Amino acid sequence: MGGCFSDVSGGQAGVGVGSRGGLAGPPPETAQQERNDAVDHFLHTRGLRDLYIPLELSLSASKLRNLDVLSKSDPMAVIYAKKLDGMLEELGRTEVIMNTLNPVWITKFTINYHFEIVQPLVFRVYDIDTKYHNTSVKMLKLNEQDYLGEASCTLSEIVTKRDRSLTLKLKYQNRPADAHLGTITVHAEETVASRAAVEMILRCSRLENKDVFSKSDPFLRISRIVESGISIPICKTEVINNNLNPVWKPVTLTMQQFGSKENPLIIECFDFNANGKHELLGELQGSMAELEKLSREKIGAHFYVPSSVRQGHKKMLKGQLFVDNFCEKIQYSFLDYISNGFELNFMVAVDFTASNGNPRSPDSLHYIDPSGRLNSYQQAIVGVGEVLQFYDTDKCFPAWGFGGRMSDGSVSHCFNLNGSLDECEVVGVEGIMSSYAMALHNVMLAGPTLFGPVINKAAAIASKSLSHSHNKYFVLLIITDGVITDAVETKDAIVKASDLPLSILIVGVGGADFKQMEILDADNGKRLESSTGRIATRDIVQFVPMREMQGRQTSIVQSLLEELPGQFLTYMRCRDIKPIFAHPAATSACQPN
Amino acid sequence: MENSATLEITIISAEDLRLSHRPLKKNAFVTVRSTSTLNDGGASSTSLDRDGGSYPHWNEKLKVALPASARSISVEVCCKTGTGVRLVAVAAIPVSDFCEPAGYLHFLSYRLRERDGERNGIINLSVRMEGAGPFGRRVQRPLAAPPTMWAKGEERRNYGVAVGHPVGYGYRVY
Repeated sequence: MGGCFSDVSGGQAGVGVGSRGGLAGPPPETAQQERNDAVDHFLHTRGLRDLYIPLELSLSASKLRNLDVLSKSDPMAVIYAKKLDGMLEELGRTEVIMNTLNPVWITKFTINYHFEIVQPLVFRVYDIDTKYHNTSVKMLKLNEQDYLGEASCTLSEIVTKRDRSLTLKLKYQNRPADAHLGTITVHAEETVASRAAVEMILRCSRLENKDVFSKSDPFLRISRIVESGISIPICKTEVINNNLNPVWKPVTLTMQQFGSKENPLIIECFDFNANGKHELLGELQGSMAELEKLSREKIGAHFYVPSSVRQGHKKMLKGQLFVDNFCEKIQYSFLDYISNGFELNFMVAVDFTASNGNPRSPDSLHYIDPSGRLNSYQQAIVGVGEVLQFYDTDKCFPAWGFGGRMSDGSVSHCFNLNGSLDECEVVGVEGIMSSYAMALHNVMLAGPTLFGPVINKAAAIASKSLSHSHNKYFVLLIITDGVITDAVETKDAIVKASDLPLSILIVGVGGADFKQMEILDADNGKRLESSTGRIATRDIVQFVPMREMQGRQTSIVQSLLEELPGQFLTYMRCRDIKPIFAHPAATSACQPN
Repeated sequence: MENSATLEITIISAEDLRLSHRPLKKNAFVTVRSTSTLNDGGASSTSLDRDGGSYPHWNEKLKVALPASARSISVEVCCKTGTGVRLVAVAAIPVSDFCEPAGYLHFLSYRLRERDGERNGIINLSVRMEGAGPFGRRVQRPLAAPPTMWAKGEERRNYGVAVGHPVGYGYRVY
C-alpha cells in the first residue's frame, strides 16, 4: 500500500493540472492556481468535483425609480466584489435596457463560488443618460450617470436559497433601505450543468512483468484527447503492488472530465516505480462508449505498446483491460445539496487548559484585548463561524469548553460555554463570542487536554439528528493550544464518529508541537485505527496550525474549510442520499445523448 | 427462542489480505456469524472472489439473525485453496457499533487479525439493523453505553474491549 500513497504526491502534477482543462473563465493568479491544483487533485482522487464551482449570475430589477422626465429610466447594473479592505472591485457591467423600470438584463457574470470564503458582492444600478447610448458600457463614466441605488449580499446567501434567487432592496450608499428605490434580484446558476458521471471497475489480466524480484505494481492513467490533439490526464487509479491481474477500486469520471461518450480516451497502464519513472505496461485508445461495450459484452481489450522496430507501428500485447460494473449515474454537487434543503450545523469547542496562560495577562492566548484586537481563539471562531453561519438556518450553535475547572472545583472536559447546565446552544457567532468571554471569567484554566468527551458529545448530537432527518451535516470546530494528553482516546472517539454526518476541524494556536494532530488528520492516506481495531470509515478531521498560516495569502479559514465540501459529499454519496428537491429539468439535462 | 433482530450486512471489500505472509491470490470469501452464549444466530457467507486477489471486492448482501443476547458478530475472511478452506483472518464487530441510531446504514471498517493476533488486512462493510424494536434496551447496557463524559482512563479502557477478540490475541493499551 505504501507505494500508492507516495505516488500520489509524485504523480500529482500530471493529474491535478489537466483536470481543470475544460473549465471556462479567466485563469486565477498563479499562486492561487497551484494551491487549487493540489486541492483539485485531492478531490479528484476521490472522484469529486472541483473545489470551486463556476457560477453564472443573472440580474433583474423591479420598480426602479424613474429619473427621466418624458420616458422611463434606462437602467444598467454594475457588479462589484468587496475586498477584505472594503475596496470594491468591478466584476462587470450589464447592457443598458431602454425605457424600463423593471429591467431583466441579459449579460451574465461568471464568478467562482468558493465554499470556504465569504464573498461579499455589491450591485449598483444606474440610469444611463440618453446622450451616452452610443457609447460602449465599458467606457461609461459612472459618476456622470444617475445613481438609482445599490444592494449587497454574499454569494453564499444566494446559493443557499432554494431557487438560488435572492431579492434585495435597493438603497442609497450608507443609508437604510428605502422602499421607493425598488429591488434587485440576483439569480445564480451553475455553469457546468452536467451532473452525469460514470462509475466503473477496471481490471487487467496478464500484464507484463517488469520487476525482477517481484511482479509489476500496476496503475492506470486515463487521459482525454482534446481537439488540439494533446491528451489531458483526467484520472489515475491507485497502485496495486505485485499483481499482474489487478482490480482497481471503482473509478468515477464526470462528464466534465471525459467530455462526451464519444470523446477518445487514452488508457495507459504503468508499472509503479518509487523513483517516479513509471514504466509503460501498455496503452489503448477508446471512448467511454467503447468501455461500456467491453463491460456489456464482458470482453477484454488488448493493450498495445509502440513498436520498437518500426516507427508508428504498434505491437499488440497479451495483457487485456476489462470493465466491470459500468454504470452511469448522476452526481450531485455540494451546491445541489445545500440549496435543496441540506444544512451544515456548526459547533464549537474551546480549550480551557492551563497551558494557555492566565487570561488576565497579555501574553496569554486567552487574553481579551480591551482595544478589540481578536486573540487567536476569537479569530478562529469568527473566521469559521462567519463562513458556516450562512449554511445553518437557525443559527443556534452548540458551544463547549474543555479542560477547565468549574466553580465546584471539578475539571470538566465538556462544559457549556454559556454557563448553563442543560442548554449548550448559543445564538449566532456573537453568541459564541460573548459566552466565550463570559466563560473565561467563570472557569479556571486547568487540564489535561482531552478531546474525547467533546467529540463524543458532538457525535451524539449528530447521531440523534439522524433519527428524524437526514439533511443535516455537522461541523465541530475544536480550538486548542496543546498536544492532546490521550491520543488513544481521541482516536477512538474520531473513529467512532467517522460513520456519522460529522466533520471535525481542529485549529492549533500557540507554539506547541502539533505533530500528533497531523496523525488525526488522515491526509497522508493512512486510515485512522482505534484501539479496538475499528478503522475510520472516512477522513473527517482537518487540522491547521494557526502559525503556519501567518504571512501566507490563504487565510486559516480557507485551508481549514477546503476539505469540508469533499467530506460532505463522500458522506452523502456513499449513502446515496440525494438532494431533497432535485430539479427535474436539471436531472433530465444530464441524461447522456 | 429469544427475541432477535435481522442484520442486513453488505460485505463490500477487503484490503491487503495476506495468507501465510504472502498476498492472497484468489478465492477469498467472507462468513458472518452472530453468536451468543445462549444460541447460535446462524452464519451466512459470500461467494468466492475470483479476480480481486488480495483486494477482493464482493458487494454482497447477507442477512443474519442477531439474538438479543449477542454482543458482537464475527466476520471471518476465508480462502478456498487446493487443499481446502483456510481461515485468513477475523474481526469482531461489537453490536454497539451499529445498534443506534435505529435503522441507520452504518459503513464500518475493521482491522482483521489472524488467530494468533497478528495484524492482517482491513474489511469494509455496511450494516443495517432491521426490526430493532427489542434492541432499544441494548443501549442502556453498561457494555454498549457510551463512556461517561469525563471517564477516567481505566474506565475508558474497559469500554468496548471486552468484545470477542480472538482467543490468544493479547490486547495492549499503548
